[in-house]
Parts: sequence; structure tokens; C-alpha cells
Amino acid sequence: MSKPDFVIRNLHVQVEGKEILKGVDLHIRGGEIHAIMGPNGTGKSTLASAIMGHPHYEVTEGEIWLDGQNVLEMSVDERARAGLFLAMQYPAEVPGVSNANFIRTALNARRGEGNEIPVLQFHRRLVQKMKELSIDPSFAERYLNEGFSGGEKKRNEILQMAMLEPRIAILDEIDSGLDIDALKIVANGVNQLRSDNIGFLIITHYQRLLNYIVPDVVHVMMQGRIVKSGDAKLAEELEAKGYDWLKQELGIEDETVEVEA
Amino acid sequence: MGEVTALNPVLRVAQALQEPKVVTEKRDAAWKLYESLEVPRLEKTDLRRVTWDVGEFEATGAEVPEDVASYVQGIEHSCALVVDGVVREIRLSDEAQAKGVVLVSIHDACTTHAEVWNRHFGAIVPADDSKWAALNMALFAGGVFVHVPRGAELEHPIEVVYVWTGRPFSACSRSLVVTEPLARLRYAETTFAKGGERFVNSHVLEVFASQASSIQVATADEWRKGGMHFVTRRAKTENDAEVDWVVADTSDGQAVELVESELAGQGSRSFTRVMGLGHGRAHVEITASMRHVGRHTESEISMHGALRDRANVIFRSRTQIEKGAVGAGSEQHDRMIMVDGTARADAIPMLLIDENDVERCGHAASVGKIDPLQVYYLMSRGIPQSTAVQMIIWGYLRDTVEALPSDAMRQIVVSRVERELAR
Ligand SMILES: Nc1ncnc2c1ncn2[C@@H]1O[C@H](COP(=O)(O)OP(=O)(O)O)[C@@H](O)[C@H]1O
Ligand SMILES: [Mg+2]
Repeated sequence: MSKPDFVIRNLHVQVEGKEILKGVDLHIRGGEIHAIMGPNGTGKSTLASAIMGHPHYEVTEGEIWLDGQNVLEMSVDERARAGLFLAMQYPAEVPGVSNANFIRTALNARRGEGNEIPVLQFHRRLVQKMKELSIDPSFAERYLNEGFSGGEKKRNEILQMAMLEPRIAILDEIDSGLDIDALKIVANGVNQLRSDNIGFLIITHYQRLLNYIVPDVVHVMMQGRIVKSGDAKLAEELEAKGYDWLKQELGIEDETVEVEA
Repeated sequence: MGEVTALNPVLRVAQALQEPKVVTEKRDAAWKLYESLEVPRLEKTDLRRVTWDVGEFEATGAEVPEDVASYVQGIEHSCALVVDGVVREIRLSDEAQAKGVVLVSIHDACTTHAEVWNRHFGAIVPADDSKWAALNMALFAGGVFVHVPRGAELEHPIEVVYVWTGRPFSACSRSLVVTEPLARLRYAETTFAKGGERFVNSHVLEVFASQASSIQVATADEWRKGGMHFVTRRAKTENDAEVDWVVADTSDGQAVELVESELAGQGSRSFTRVMGLGHGRAHVEITASMRHVGRHTESEISMHGALRDRANVIFRSRTQIEKGAVGAGSEQHDRMIMVDGTARADAIPMLLIDENDVERCGHAASVGKIDPLQVYYLMSRGIPQSTAVQMIIWGYLRDTVEALPSDAMRQIVVSRVERELAR
């Protein structure tokens, strides 16, 4: 299988008629880890949601390509089956649908009819991955995210990623609300998957996570654009000097997406 | 007059069943009442246009439909089969026999178990309860009498399968379930109401839970289009008794159903869960009702509905706390999801409180569409939209289905639900 190749060009996105993303460009290849950093309200989750095809986000301009396929022409489920994965900042709760059943249905949708994973093999793999992520075995039969703590939801997102083996994985604030032990577990889950067959886009506003997952490229987002890119050192610099330093350097007063009155 | 009597529907039934005169007298009185009662005005169901035609009862057995025959064959616990008002088969398990449980036809019971029968028959759902209760009392045919002796705890359920094949007369089945103190029972009713002729049907179930006994009553109904179905199921509790209802309804016909617990005894409890999947042009009105009479009685009603096509389904949860029901507590949750925009749902919570000293009285009701963010989440993992919708609806109905007391029953409800969701 060839290396994943993911390209975003000049992406503009609106929410409720309001332009949030104002021209984003990105190029992620298999084996690479990109981080997007930035203060709250600068459009990071909007980028993640627009890539996945969230119904509230409207792409008004620009292109998204995965392995030469036009992502913007695909429905949400087609995007997932093509290899996109988004670990969500606020995943939905779905009562009555067990975690295991959900993941198995998703995996089989991905593998296609006639190529379903044998039930026993599935459970063996699930149990193994849950162990690696220190998820209690009872969570297999718990209803999807229902009553999960913040940290449990995050680990459950990583579990799904590990099971589905996407080509491009986007992790939106996977570190928020995690204590240091949970953070290490999640980072370890990501590092285990790291290979030429997968590219990562890691969204965070703290540098903390990047101590455990060392990125190849760091982008800073402000006002709905990528305003600066660099290597892992940029994240460290931001940690040391804060975002204000960068705002001054770039002459930005309000980093959030402006809202016209 | 003689000629009129010969055509009297009551006589037809009474003669066919060859029952004691006292029963026929009950029927006669009920029939007079039925004829004298006005057609009631219901807020959500227009009864003026429905048929009140009762046809001519025939006790000669109809063919047992194939799906029913194979369903009944698969039942391993105690069961009875009632086809068009005729009890065709009764099987009592070794367990039930050993524990002294009685399962006989409602008609036989009035002589074989006269004492219990006389005490409770018609006492929980009397003829004057409604026009259709009067109709049932006048024409009742087919049904069982279940009696569980003191302290007997049945591990396996007793299930009655009612079949209406759509022959040209009213189906008025009626059963009576009585548990003595400290007994435990799971009783189930599975109905196969085939579509077809337009007649008025009235089904009645009376349940009496003696002191500290516990009964789960589970029902799997599918009122198909054709007739007008009235259903009255009511339980009465003595002190510390518990009655739990599990109602799974997948109708596409016209039905007005009442599921009620009268919490007469102090400290008695009742929990009702209803799962409804309306489809086609169903017009189904289900009222889950709790009447708190005794002190420190507790109840909970949870109703979940999903609607397809042009179904119009009304879920009413009604909690009544009578004066004197000190320390009563109750909860209600109604939730309905319209799968198709063409469906209509009404969730109506009702609280009627005549006692000041109540423990808690919560209620929540909502009608809405399926949550698009849940659909998005499932799709974002590669699951196609139609599958995602099915999974969510199914997830929302499954707790009730899983509470059904046997594999056979769960399977039949699962297949009924899947048939309608997979379209
Ligand atoms: N669903 C939404 N509805 C309305 N406004 C939104 C929505 N999502 C995001 N926004 C707005 O878009 C801007 C960027 O939000 P977001 O992408 O969540 O930022 P970040 O993830 O960087 O904190 C904010 O001003 C936010 O209020
Ligand atoms: Mg965000």
C-alpha cells in the first residue's frame, strides 16, 4: 500500500454563515506528525470538523484531497472508509449501542461486505488494545460514551483509532482534561501506531502532549489561518514565551476569529 | 323477542362455550351496559368513525397461522395458545406443576377455581370501566386463568399467545392472573393480530398481586391494520407487592391501550416500561397509568417510541396520587423519536396529585428527531447513514426489549423491529 498523502488547499469554512477558516493549507504524508497549536477560538476544531464533514460546517472555498481522491465530494462515512479518522473533542453519547458493537460495525464497514472480521478475532484484538490503553474490559459492553468521564472518552477515541487503523488521524485536544498518567497512555497509543502507513494531525493548545509525541512539523493557528510553521522547537518556544510573543511578532491583536458586528 | 334473542351475540358466545348460567348473566348485564354507553370522546383518537361491529362468534377453530405455530413450538416454558377466542393448547412446565401453579382456560376456571375466580374476575377491570370493557365482559372468549400459590417462585415465565386471524367477529380475549403472598411470577402475552376484517376487538387482562408478591407482566403486541383494538391491562397490588410492566408494541393498526397499576397496598411498587415502534398508518394511543392509593407507594413510567411512515402514536403517562397516599413517589420519562418526517408523535405527561405529602414527582417528556450529532459520530467511523440510524433507534428501544422474559419473545420483537427499521 502506498504512503498516505493528504492535501488541504486554501480551505475556507463557514459556521452559521460566519467565516471561521480563512484559507488553510496543509500537506501531510504517511509517517509524518503535524501539530496544530493555537489559543482557544482560533479555528482548530473547525478545521478538524470540516475535514471530517460535520454537518454544521460549510466549506465555501478550497480543496481537500486524500490519496488523490476528492474528500469534499464524499459523505462522512465515505471519508472514514477512505481512511480519515477524527478523535473528537466532544464525542457524542449513544445510549443502547455498546462500544464493542459500534467498533465492530465500523471496522466491518471499513473492510467491506464479505471481508468481515471473525468475531473471536475481533474480540481478541479489542481486549488487547483496551489493555494497552488501560481501559477496563467492562467498557466493551458499556454504551458508547454514556456516563464516561472526560478522560475515558479520550481513551475511547484512541481505542477506536487503534482498532480502525486509519491513514490520516486527526486528534482534536486529545490531551485536554487528562492527568499525566493518562496523557502518557494516550501518547503511547499514538506512538505505537506510528508508521509510514499513517499520518497524524494533532491539535492542542498546550505543548505538554508534544513532549511525548514529537512532531515533525508544528503549525500555529490564529484568526482562522496558519500563521507560522516550524519544527518541534517552535512548540517549545511557544511553551517558554507564550502566544503573546508570537502575536507581537506577527502584529496580531486579537488572535480569535473576528466576528463582524 | 325470541328471534332477537337468537341473534344476540352474547347468547352465541355463551352457547358455544357452554358455561354456567351465572357467567351468562354477567354477560347479559354487560351487553346492556355496552349498548347503553355512549361512544366516548377521546382527545387524541376519534372513535366516531371506528366500527363497533361485533360480527357472529364461531367457536370452530381457525387454522393456526404458520408463523404462530412455529413460534409456539419454539416456546420451552409454560404456555397457552388462544386462537380467535378459543383456547387451543395449554402446556404447563414440570417446574410450574411441581410448584402448584394453575394454568387453565378462563372459562374452566370459573368452575374449577371458583373461589379465586369469583373474588377477582371483573373486580379489577369491571364492565363499567369503559364501553370496550363492557363489550369484553359481554363477549369474552379465550384467555387463561393463572394462579401462583403462596411463596411459589417461578423461574421460567408463563406465556400466552393470542391470535386473531381476522375472521368476521370481534375478538374479546380475557385473562386473569393472581399471585398469592410472597409468590413470584413472570407472565407474558404475545399477540399476533392479523389484518383483515374491520371489527371491534377488546382485550382485557386483570392482574392481582397479593401481599409481597411480585409479578412481571410482559407484552409483545402487534395490532395490524383492519380492526379497532382496545386493550385494557390493569394490575392491583396489595401491601409490599411489586408489578413491573414491559410493553413492546409494533403496531400499524388502530389501537387504544391502557396499561395500569393500581397501587392499593402500602409500600407497593410498579415500574412500567414501554417501547413502541409505530409504522404504516398506525394510530396507536398507549396510556401508561399509575394510581397511588396506598401509603409509601412508588412508581416509575418510562416510554420510548420511534415512529416511521405516517404513524401517529400517542404516549400518555398518567400518575395519579390519591388523597391519603402519603409519601408516594413517582417518576415519568417519555421520549419519542420521529424517524420519518411524515410521522406524528404526542408525548403527554399527566400528574394528578390530591395528596400534599408526596416524596417526589418527576416528569420529563420530549418529542424530536434523531440526533444528527449521534448520526455524524457513527458515520465518522465509516458506518453508512442508514445503518447508523438503525443502530441509534435500536439502541434507544433495546432496554425494553432486553427486559422481555424469554428468548423467543425477544426474538420476535427484534424481528418485528428490524423488519420496520431495515426498510
Ligand atoms: N458549531 C458552531 N456554531 C457557532 N460558532 C462556532 C461553532 N463552532 C465554532 N464556532 C466559532 O468558531 C470559532 C472557532 O472555534 P473553534 O474552531 O472551536 O476554535 P478552537 O478549536 O481553536 O478553540 C469560535 O469563534 C467559535 O465560537
Ligand atoms: Mg477546539
